[in-house]
Amino acid sequence: MKVFEKIVQQTKAYYCIDCGICTGSCPVARVNPRFSPRLNVEKSLLQLEGEIVEDRELWSCLTCGTCSQRCPALVDYQSFVLSSRIEARKAGREGSLTHDGVLKLMMELQTFAFPQARTGWIPKEVKTSAKGEYLYWVGCLPHFDVIFKDYGTHSLQTAINALRILNRLGIKPVVSPEERCCGHDLLWNGDIESFRKLARYNIGMLKKYGVSKVVCSCPEGYRTLKVDYPNLVGDTGVEVIHISQLIAQGIKEGKIFLNPLEEKVTYHDPCRLGRLSGIYEEPREVIRHIPGLQLLEMERNRGDAICCGTTGWVNCSSYSKEIQTDRLKEAISTGAQTLITACPKCKIHFQCALMNSDLSIEIKDMLDLVGEVI
Amino acid sequence: MLDAGRHPNIKILAYSEVQGLEGKAGDFTVQYLKKARYIKEEVCTACGACAEKCPIKADNDFEMGLKKRKAIYIYFPQGIPAVYTIDPEHCPMILKGKCGLCAKLCQAGAIDYEQKDEKKTLHVGAVIVATGVTQFDPSVVTEYGYGRIKNVITGLEYERLISASGPTKGHLYRPSDEKLAKRVAYIQCVGSRSLKYKDYCSSVCCMYAIKDAMLAREHDEEAESYIFYSDFRVMGKRYQQYRLRGAEDYGIKYIRGRVAEIIEDAEGNPVLWYEDTRTRQVKSLTVDMVVLCSAAVPSKGVEQLAEVLGIELTPNRFVKTDPFHPTDTTVPGIFVCGFCQNPKDIAESVSQASGAASRAAGLLGITSSGKRTVA
Repeated sequence: MKVFEKIVQQTKAYYCIDCGICTGSCPVARVNPRFSPRLNVEKSLLQLEGEIVEDRELWSCLTCGTCSQRCPALVDYQSFVLSSRIEARKAGREGSLTHDGVLKLMMELQTFAFPQARTGWIPKEVKTSAKGEYLYWVGCLPHFDVIFKDYGTHSLQTAINALRILNRLGIKPVVSPEERCCGHDLLWNGDIESFRKLARYNIGMLKKYGVSKVVCSCPEGYRTLKVDYPNLVGDTGVEVIHISQLIAQGIKEGKIFLNPLEEKVTYHDPCRLGRLSGIYEEPREVIRHIPGLQLLEMERNRGDAICCGTTGWVNCSSYSKEIQTDRLKEAISTGAQTLITACPKCKIHFQCALMNSDLSIEIKDMLDLVGEVI
Repeated sequence: MLDAGRHPNIKILAYSEVQGLEGKAGDFTVQYLKKARYIKEEVCTACGACAEKCPIKADNDFEMGLKKRKAIYIYFPQGIPAVYTIDPEHCPMILKGKCGLCAKLCQAGAIDYEQKDEKKTLHVGAVIVATGVTQFDPSVVTEYGYGRIKNVITGLEYERLISASGPTKGHLYRPSDEKLAKRVAYIQCVGSRSLKYKDYCSSVCCMYAIKDAMLAREHDEEAESYIFYSDFRVMGKRYQQYRLRGAEDYGIKYIRGRVAEIIEDAEGNPVLWYEDTRTRQVKSLTVDMVVLCSAAVPSKGVEQLAEVLGIELTPNRFVKTDPFHPTDTTVPGIFVCGFCQNPKDIAESVSQASGAASRAAGLLGITSSGKRTVA
């Protein structure tokens, strides 16, 4: 009881004016009639927290932030869901795991200290340093490369391209063999204990390496290190940068030249990079800078972009597929041949939806696109 | 307005800007700039021969840019004083000394390209601020697509479309293809009652949307109207009955729920996504045109005027008043009425105007017969 009172206070749920903008905006509610952010907020105000905690749809929220962004009462629904999930986990509940739970297992394994060969994938021609100003945060990419091999997403290539691009920008980053899972998915699934463990470990690792700047290519890692570590665990002592910011700056300063590429592309804003971090323009600046490339915007772009349909490797359902198919159709309707995104998960999710449909469009990570033209 | 224009005790200094104020209550000196119209006001007969032949076109602000006007123009047909004005930013004669057609055409000889702005002063006992209202630009509410989706318009633009003297002579030809809009959705609280934009209720939108929807049906029997609302705030005398009449006699459909998003279909029709909060269903509705009842905000320039007069504004740019003295600004002798003080409709504005006038008269000791009781 007391806990939910606190959640209501912290997320300003009491400001709710019951207008329905959240539910009307929600990509899940649009396809899943059992799902309603508005009703969840109302339930919390009516002290029906038992219903919130036990509802399996609690795990269907994408935490994409569309509702919070449009809410006229500024109710922080993402934090509401996060806190509710923490409570639900305490009550022994969790979402239904996708990919047989292998991703969750992988994340949980990393909360234990054991040696891993985490940098063996780095090709010889790419320059890294043992110490220095910058650290490149690799994130899950090498893991995804193995798990999603059948999807043809080639996630590891994205990490290699990130390093190649950093080299072109004159940066030889540290790649730490001691990096661990950032904890993003565990956090958003309510496992705050494991998240804190990983965060503390990673913050200690960053201090040990003495770097002052961390470059992330994954929007989830970026958001987690930049916002959630300081808010929920403690100061990281580093500046967290998204690689698109560095590339956009490098282009302005003439440090990097991009070769021409005749292609029509559209750009999908990942929610962690866009709505949750406010980075909308830098990836577009990078894409636009490629000579011959034509960037065609989808109608729902930037803050109005819809999510890639599933998050945190839970509750991926036919509803997720509907959301993804809808987004892919929107991308195709622009006339683009390629859908560019800046998040490895968006890429995997869209690729998965594409494999299960008769739609045709190429999905590419922004870094792979830039990798082609440097 | 016409009454004010004809009133023997009212002198209207139109096209003028207050630039300075000195003195105190009962004895103010106002400095103002009488802007050059390039027209001799006392000579112009407003026959319109000049504008008919003027070759230069510019955006018509009064028609919300839905129509063009000439470089020599009258702001709107009923405007007072009924004299033409040359827009110096567009007139080639003023800009580079070429053309001069209107001077040749004007039989009254009212054109004066050499006219200059004049600095003038005026002694007054009291000042009443009544700078009125404009509409919040809804293009920042990106999910509604204003500026991107052609058939999403503002309430003020709709007013011009439905007006018999407007650009479409009262027919609801929608902007994208000039097809007659039969199904129109009106969205309440666009930017108002929102902690993101304007945290107050604009107080007039519920009623004008109902009126707009009634007009649509009066102009076209097949018109269908949908009003999306969060709560109807129809608090004036018999306003609630008006709302009910809208549904019963004019077939207006009221849908409770703020619209979440508008997208455009292949025919240029706006598609609204919303939750009908009464049935808890998320639905979409395709219409011909959408009218955004966006927040009413104090007119542009109110900050500069407040600075000149030394009066305080609220964070939402309304003229600050004390709750118990709703017509007194923070400077004695300067009074306020109408929307610039707080959101209100015409009826309330009129009664507040009487209040402000009475406060000014009281200060100056003027009785109802117009005589001063104190020197």
